Amino acid sequence: MNFAAIDWIIVVAYLAGSLLIGVMAKRYVGNLSDFLVAGRELGLHVGIATLAATEIGTITFMYFAELGYKAGFAAFCTAAISGIVMIIVGRTGFVISRFRELKLMTVPEYFEVKYSQGLRIVTGILVAIGGILNMGVFLKIEGQFLTIVSGIDSKYLVAVMTAILLLELVYTVLGGMVSVVITDFLQYVLLSVATILVTFYAVNTAGWENITAKVTTVMGEGGWNPLANQRFGWTFLIWQVLLWFAMCACWQTTAMRMFATNGPKTAKRVMTWTGVIFLGRGMLPMLWGICALVMFGTGPLGADGSPTPIVNGHAIAPIEAMPAMIATLLGPGVKGIVVAGMLAATMSVNSSYLLGWSSVLSQDVILPIRSKLGKGDLGSKSQILINRLANVGVSLFVMFWGLYYPLSGSTYMYLTITGTIFLSGAFVSVVGGLYWSRANLLGGYAAMLMGAAGAIIPFFILHWDPNWTGFCAFGLALLGMVAGSLLGKKSNSVPALSAAE
Amino acid sequence: MNGWQLFWTIWLLFSGAAFAIITLVVTLKGFGDVKRMLSGIKAHDKTSE
Repeated sequence: MNFAAIDWIIVVAYLAGSLLIGVMAKRYVGNLSDFLVAGRELGLHVGIATLAATEIGTITFMYFAELGYKAGFAAFCTAAISGIVMIIVGRTGFVISRFRELKLMTVPEYFEVKYSQGLRIVTGILVAIGGILNMGVFLKIEGQFLTIVSGIDSKYLVAVMTAILLLELVYTVLGGMVSVVITDFLQYVLLSVATILVTFYAVNTAGWENITAKVTTVMGEGGWNPLANQRFGWTFLIWQVLLWFAMCACWQTTAMRMFATNGPKTAKRVMTWTGVIFLGRGMLPMLWGICALVMFGTGPLGADGSPTPIVNGHAIAPIEAMPAMIATLLGPGVKGIVVAGMLAATMSVNSSYLLGWSSVLSQDVILPIRSKLGKGDLGSKSQILINRLANVGVSLFVMFWGLYYPLSGSTYMYLTITGTIFLSGAFVSVVGGLYWSRANLLGGYAAMLMGAAGAIIPFFILHWDPNWTGFCAFGLALLGMVAGSLLGKKSNSVPALSAAE
Repeated sequence: MNGWQLFWTIWLLFSGAAFAIITLVVTLKGFGDVKRMLSGIKAHDKTSE
């Protein structure tokens, strides 16, 4: 066991405190708007904290550290793209300002405002499939991190995963977005302290000279220049730019924060400042991965060209190198703070994702289908109940998928491809709907279906390279929108949209 | 390669410093935002009742 008594005390105190605060927030949930978008009362600072905490989890640290271990400093290009794109979106208000003015609660809701209820349901299904598949690997990887760092036997991985999920589920189901925002704020503070501590210890131990020398020796030019690294190249960079514009605009958990702000101006400022945080969100864990390469990268070269990490004479997977480094580096007390910080990161992401994807399932799939079947509108309390049941359903699926899906290749690539399933079509349809007067229903359907096919078929069936898959999905979605809109009838202007404009 | 090394080192220093500074500001000012959010939600709910 790597944990001392003081570490357990810190971790248990953190978990109990989080649960208590999350549960207490339930009394602020009076209606559906409180449950899904915290009554649209988010200010700037708590907005930054919740958006950053939502997109910084143990899963983020793990996949970025793995990418840093395998690709060196060249991997920094992904962090730079994410931060710069967010700053551009924040400064210009591209999509997010219009969305906030429309007072939406979910991204697919826009499809009913602009296109039709049928397309809202199709989009809701694709968003839910992509989002839940994306979240499906979180628990397994987070469980791996915790078992390695704390030294718990790996046979308890399932129990650790279940316990994490149950804790998040309790406060998300009860307090919805209000609980999530308050716990996100505290979790953001804790995870940031942990991030800074690990960076300090890792660089101090590995040594800057050794870090740069190891990357140059193992990877050569490809460890620094993304265009010289076979993992990246132009197709990857262009796909990442498109993907990040789409993430800022249409990723449900990010969009929910924009919908929850107290106005379009706050939404823009939250996005801009979180963009600056996103530079560190990527680069710092990548640096941990490179430090782990310095400390443990002594084994034979693997299939992907990176040396196998060797810890105490045992070969481990590259994704496990960073947690093994943390387990080795940190002393009692500090380890407890860092693990509590990582748990905070885990819980903030998972609770937000649970709320995000289950809100799409309930608001954009279940309720519209109910309405199509001719059943009357439900009251706010019944809608909250359906949201809570969807939360439980998503949790069960995530547990199952996390246990049985064999993840091969880079985790980062899996996550970006599953996101692309709906992001390519949703982004093209949203941008077309907001900024191109010719965009119509046929174009919307074609973009969503061709974008999804462009991600699913090449990646899961044809086993194409992820870079080309992502490129193909966005290209097909764009083609579908343009061809469908030019061939179909022109839509009438929508009053809600005209008012927002 | 030296150019790239310098380029990423500058990015890393900027990103790390910005991360730490924004965290500090958000921590200090966020509590006030949470309080305002909760009182805003209560006020909303009272009005809608």
